[in-house]
Amino acid sequence: MLINTPMFTATPVFDTAPEIEVKNVSMVYENSVGKEVDALTDVSIDIKKGEFVSLLGPSGCGKTTLLRIIADLLEPTSGSVRIAGRTPREARLKQKYGIVFQSPVLYDWRTIRNNVRLPLEMMKVAKEEQEKRVDKQLDLVGLGKFAGNYPYQLSGGMQQRVGIARALAIKPEFLLMDEPFSALDEFTREKLNEDLLRIWAKTGKTVVFVTHNISEAVFLSDRVFVLSPHPGRLSAIIDIDLPRPRSQETRESPEFFSLVSGIRKSFEGVYARRGKE
Amino acid sequence: MPVAERSRRLVVLVWLVAVIAAWELGAFLLADVFHDAMAASKLPFLHDIAATIAKNWPSLLEAAGVTFSKAAIGFGLGALFGYLLAVLMSVSRIAESIAFPYLIVSQMIPVLGLAPIIFTLVRDMNASRIVIAAYITFFPVAASTLSGFKSVDEEKRQLMRSYAATMPVLYLKLLVPFSVPYLFAGLKIAAPLSVTASILVDMLGSKNGIGVKLLYALYGGAKDIFWASVLTSAAMGVFSYLFIAQAEKVLVPWRKSLPSSAGGQSA
Repeated sequence: MLINTPMFTATPVFDTAPEIEVKNVSMVYENSVGKEVDALTDVSIDIKKGEFVSLLGPSGCGKTTLLRIIADLLEPTSGSVRIAGRTPREARLKQKYGIVFQSPVLYDWRTIRNNVRLPLEMMKVAKEEQEKRVDKQLDLVGLGKFAGNYPYQLSGGMQQRVGIARALAIKPEFLLMDEPFSALDEFTREKLNEDLLRIWAKTGKTVVFVTHNISEAVFLSDRVFVLSPHPGRLSAIIDIDLPRPRSQETRESPEFFSLVSGIRKSFEGVYARRGKE
Repeated sequence: MPVAERSRRLVVLVWLVAVIAAWELGAFLLADVFHDAMAASKLPFLHDIAATIAKNWPSLLEAAGVTFSKAAIGFGLGALFGYLLAVLMSVSRIAESIAFPYLIVSQMIPVLGLAPIIFTLVRDMNASRIVIAAYITFFPVAASTLSGFKSVDEEKRQLMRSYAATMPVLYLKLLVPFSVPYLFAGLKIAAPLSVTASILVDMLGSKNGIGVKLLYALYGGAKDIFWASVLTSAAMGVFSYLFIAQAEKVLVPWRKSLPSSAGGQSA
C-alpha cells in the first residue's frame, strides 16, 4: 500500500475521461399523500478527476438527491451513473468514496480517535496502519489534541472537521459532501471553507460539494452546477476561473462578486417566471 | 459540572432530612398529641424502627438476601430475554407485528393472578420467584431497547451503508452501542419491579424471604418487625435502582455531561 505517498499531485491536472459521469438521471418519488414528485429530471453532468465541483440550488432542487444517487444511497428512477467506469454500487462496496453529511454524524459513544478509526475497523485495516492514518487525518484537520475527547466535548465546527477526517481516512478516490457547513455560523463556515481548500490541494481528491450558499459554491469550486427546483433540473454550468490558492482576498475581489451576482440573477429569473404562472 | 454535582447532592440531602423530619413529626403527633391507640402500627417513630432493624439485622438481612438474590437472577434472565426479543423484533418487521400484541397482552395479566399459576406449574418457590421477576423485567427492557434501535438517525445508518456494512456489523457497530442508554432506561424501570415481584411471591406461602416476614409480622401483630421489614423492602428496591444507575454511569461515559453543557467550546 502507498502509505505516505500522495495519491495525486498538489495542483489538479484534469484527465480527459470524466471521473464521475451522470447521464440522463431522473428521480421520481411518491410523497406522503401519494402524489408523484419529480425530484430530478434528466440531469447529465461530467466531473473530471481532481476537480472540485458544487451542486448549487435552493431546497427542492434535488441536489442532495443527486449526491445520494452518486453515493448509491438512492437509486435513480432512470438514467445511469458511472464512477471511473464502475457503477455507484461497485464504488460503494469498494469504498471508493468518503461521504460527509450535513450533521457531523459522529458516534457519541466513540472518542474522536475512534470515530475516525471506524471505517478502518470495518475495512479490516491492520491496527498499526489504523493508528497511523487516524493520526495523520486528525493532524490534517487540526484536531490532534482532541483525539481522546468525546464528540459532545467539541463545537459544531470541530465535529464537522472530524467528519471530514473520517471520510479521508479510507483514502477515497473522491469525496461527497452534503451541505457539510450549512448548520454552522458564517465565520466558522468561511474558515472551514479555507481549511477544506487547503486539504483538497494537499490530497487532490475529486470533490462533489452540495450547497445552497452561492458564495460558498463560488469560493470553493472549479465548476458550479446550478440546479433549479420543481422539477429539479440542471439550469446552468458556471466555470469559476478565480485563481488558486483562494483566500479572504478572493472573496473581496470584483470577479468573485460578479460571479456570485450572476448566479443570483439567474435564480431571480427562475422565480420571476414562477411568480407569473 | 462540579457545581451541578454539588447542587444535586444538596437536593438529595434536603429531601432526606425533610422526609425524616416529617415522619418523626407525624409519629409524634399521632402518639403524643392525638394519643391514637394504634399509633405504633399506623406510623411508628422512625428511630424506633431503626432500633428494631439494628437489633434484628441478621434475620432481616438473611430474609432480604433470599428474596433479593432470586429477584436478581430473574432480573438478569428477563433482561436477556427482553433484549433478544428486541433484537428479533428490530430485525424482522413480521416478528414485531406477531410478537407485539402478545407483549401488550402479557402486561395486562396481573402478576398477583399469574404468580399462583406459575407456582402451581413449577412447584418450587425459588423458581417461581425467578420466573415472576423475569416476567416483570422483560417487557420494559424489550420495549425500551426496541425504541432505542428505532431511534437511530437516518444519517448514522446511511454512513454504515456507505461502508457497505453487513447486518451483524450494523448491529455491532451502530445499533447496539447506540441503544445502550435506552436499554438502561428499561433496566432502571425493571429493577425495583423485579424486587417487588419477588416479595409478592414470598407472600404466596413461602417459608423464607422478606415477604414472609412482612406477612407474619402483619398478622402476628409484631408491629416493630413489620415496619422494619417494610423499610428493608424499600431499601432493596432503592438499592436495585441505584445499582443500575451506577452501572450506567460507568458504562456510558459519553453521556457524563448534562445535555445543556454539550458543544460549548468554540471551533
